Amino acid sequence: MSREKDAANYALVFFAVISVLLLLFPASKPAHTARIIVSYSLYPSLHYGAKYAYFVRNVPANFVALLETDQENRALKEKLRGLELRLHEASALEEENARLTREMRLSRALPWAGSWARVVNKTPSDWYGSFYINKGSKDGIAVNDAVLGMQEGRAALAGRVFEVYPEFSKVLLLTNAAASAVCAIAPAGFEALVEGKGTWLLKMNYVPEEAALAEGAELVTAPGGLLFPAGVPVGRVTKVYPRESFMNFITADVSPHVNVNTLKEVFVVRRALPRELAAARMEQE
Amino acid sequence: MRILLELALYLATGTAYWWWTQNLTFYGLAPNLIFAGALCAAILAGPVKAIAWGFFLGLYADMLGVSAFGGYALTYSLMAYAVYVVKRHFDMDSFFSQLVGALALSWLSMLFYMGLSLAFARINPTGLKIFLAEPFLNALAVPVVFQVFYLAKRRFGAL
Repeated sequence: MSREKDAANYALVFFAVISVLLLLFPASKPAHTARIIVSYSLYPSLHYGAKYAYFVRNVPANFVALLETDQENRALKEKLRGLELRLHEASALEEENARLTREMRLSRALPWAGSWARVVNKTPSDWYGSFYINKGSKDGIAVNDAVLGMQEGRAALAGRVFEVYPEFSKVLLLTNAAASAVCAIAPAGFEALVEGKGTWLLKMNYVPEEAALAEGAELVTAPGGLLFPAGVPVGRVTKVYPRESFMNFITADVSPHVNVNTLKEVFVVRRALPRELAAARMEQE
Repeated sequence: MRILLELALYLATGTAYWWWTQNLTFYGLAPNLIFAGALCAAILAGPVKAIAWGFFLGLYADMLGVSAFGGYALTYSLMAYAVYVVKRHFDMDSFFSQLVGALALSWLSMLFYMGLSLAFARINPTGLKIFLAEPFLNALAVPVVFQVFYLAKRRFGAL
């Protein structure tokens, strides 16, 4: 320890003396020589430092530029997300616009007066049973009004108004197990009852055996059914069941023209109902 | 081999300080990496080598300046000796003691160098801004430089 201390003391004295000599005699020949030696020894490090400084000279500026680019990138990504969202909205609106234009053109050709309504709520537990529309008694909607859906360029029967509130109404779909409509089989004109089954298919009952019902036959609402205007397309026969031995009529499956899954707007037909139904309407209201 | 490594470390310290003052000054302020190097060498190396490092780093600083050639060499040599005395009583390896040590020794060495300059060259080279702000920058730089020097010592046997 003492030896180390001695060495430290000697070293300090040695270097301190040199330093002081350099300070005391800055213009002397030894000091000048020392200065030149130090300068020539150390300047190369500055020389090569300067020579290769361009590798690192722009590091701070590049770092700042990198940060700015990162911030800009984030802002642009955010903007892009917003624009993508707007694009989706715009394409949805465009699609809706085209559909409404098609439907409006179609509704002008319809022989019935009525108003358009938007489907606002479908209940998953009653998907083929009912839905709500955004028009109510304030818009002149009344109980038992026929509800048409527009699909594949034509109007077809979707159901009827079941409950009416001031701002909205509930529509009973034809596919509901409690719904039915008297239909005529084109072109013969035989009438039969089409009933909902709670699924995407309808069931046609009470078809006379001699009706010669075939798959693909078109069904329209019959003039005999008071609830719906006559001549509204309902669906197409997809399967005819043979007559059971204990029955004197045949049954068939019917595929409705209106697909509940793609229905967005409906046309509510306003018409003068027969007196009996109008009285029933008044009672309900 | 070890002497070459030490030489490289020495030149790298001086060049880094020069480059920093050329490119990375903030309101004209930069940490004195030569001071930090001298302090770290004084902490890590034995007394003779520490004083030699202080002296030669001081010469580097003198070479970069124009007044009182030998002033920094004397200042950093004395600082190395002071650290050698102090580190027998305090643990200078810890972060906090390095911060405090760097702060105190910065001011002491500045005052000492100013005195030398006034005595030998009749000029005061240190402005008030540098006198007030640089010790704090040095205090922040010393732990970083210490890690570099410590790595060089542990991995390559330098210092």
